[in-house]
Amino acid sequence: MPADPNMKILVVDDMSTMRRIVKNILKQLGFNNLEEAENGQDALTKLHADTYGFVVSDWNMPVMMGIDMLRAIRADEKLKKIPVLMVTAEAQKENLMEAVQAGVSNYVVKPFTAETMQDKINKIFK
Amino acid sequence: MAQPRVTPKAQEALDEDEQTGKAPDAKLYEELGELARFIDTTMKTLSEFSAPVNASTEQLPQAQTHLLNLKTQTEQGTHRVMLEVEAIQENHVQANKMLKDIAQALQHANVDPALIQQMHALGQTLGQNDKRLLDIMTALSFQDLVAQSVNKLVTILDEVEHRLLQLVVVFGPYQKQAAKTDQSKASEMLKQLEATKNTSMDQDLADEILKQFGFN
Repeated sequence: MPADPNMKILVVDDMSTMRRIVKNILKQLGFNNLEEAENGQDALTKLHADTYGFVVSDWNMPVMMGIDMLRAIRADEKLKKIPVLMVTAEAQKENLMEAVQAGVSNYVVKPFTAETMQDKINKIFK
Repeated sequence: MAQPRVTPKAQEALDEDEQTGKAPDAKLYEELGELARFIDTTMKTLSEFSAPVNASTEQLPQAQTHLLNLKTQTEQGTHRVMLEVEAIQENHVQANKMLKDIAQALQHANVDPALIQQMHALGQTLGQNDKRLLDIMTALSFQDLVAQSVNKLVTILDEVEHRLLQLVVVFGPYQKQAAKTDQSKASEMLKQLEATKNTSMDQDLADEILKQFGFN
């Protein structure tokens, strides 16, 4: 099923510059319903308060790391089916394995291009 | 640091005792005295490092501030560039819309097809520029990597500051030929330092430690 351009997407990153970059790319890819959160805890609060179709999250964040947020999403009956794309500078194999075991939908390593982001989104929603 | 060693004289005496089977008390006493003098000299030498250690400790918070300023400045600069890129992207959206409208109007007005072709070519050029703008936008993610490196450096500097202050506390009373009360104060300071090991150093605590040990 192709990605619904009207679905609400949550962009999670502690760096405002990265939130802006990811939102800009998603906008150029045709997604306009974009929200943001500053860390995993903030994201979980927002995910419980509204209906989201997709989460794009950083790995390293204060308060709650992306991997912990992912585990919380997968353990939550209401949220567990939401696709989660991790965007991170952590290219180490062990982190990738950890994310896969935690149930990540796909994984983008920084710095990345808009094409890479589009490719990963297409794979998630194919 | 040099390792304590048995002096040749004492070793000779010990060997002699071993051969003769005599009690080595007097010789060992001499050897212990040598060791005490060695430790005393070593401690004095180490305590001489206190002044440069203090200077370094005082400069570390400044280095941390410079690094955090660097992070803030790159963040502000990145947002500034993003603002301009977003403004151009928005202009492109408007320009593309106008080009389509003009091309349609020209088609209905029976103008030279070459002119309409040029309008399409202009639209394609704008599309190529959109791609470049997106590349500029994604290239700005360097700021996130800079910020992460700066955060790691600040953490390292904080750890170095902790360790330097521990040196000041450990050797401070020795250098001052301190009384027991000072040594007890040093012990308390070490405990406070240990308590802040996994958090950012409280500047007041750093200043207090330096003040207590004679650095103003």
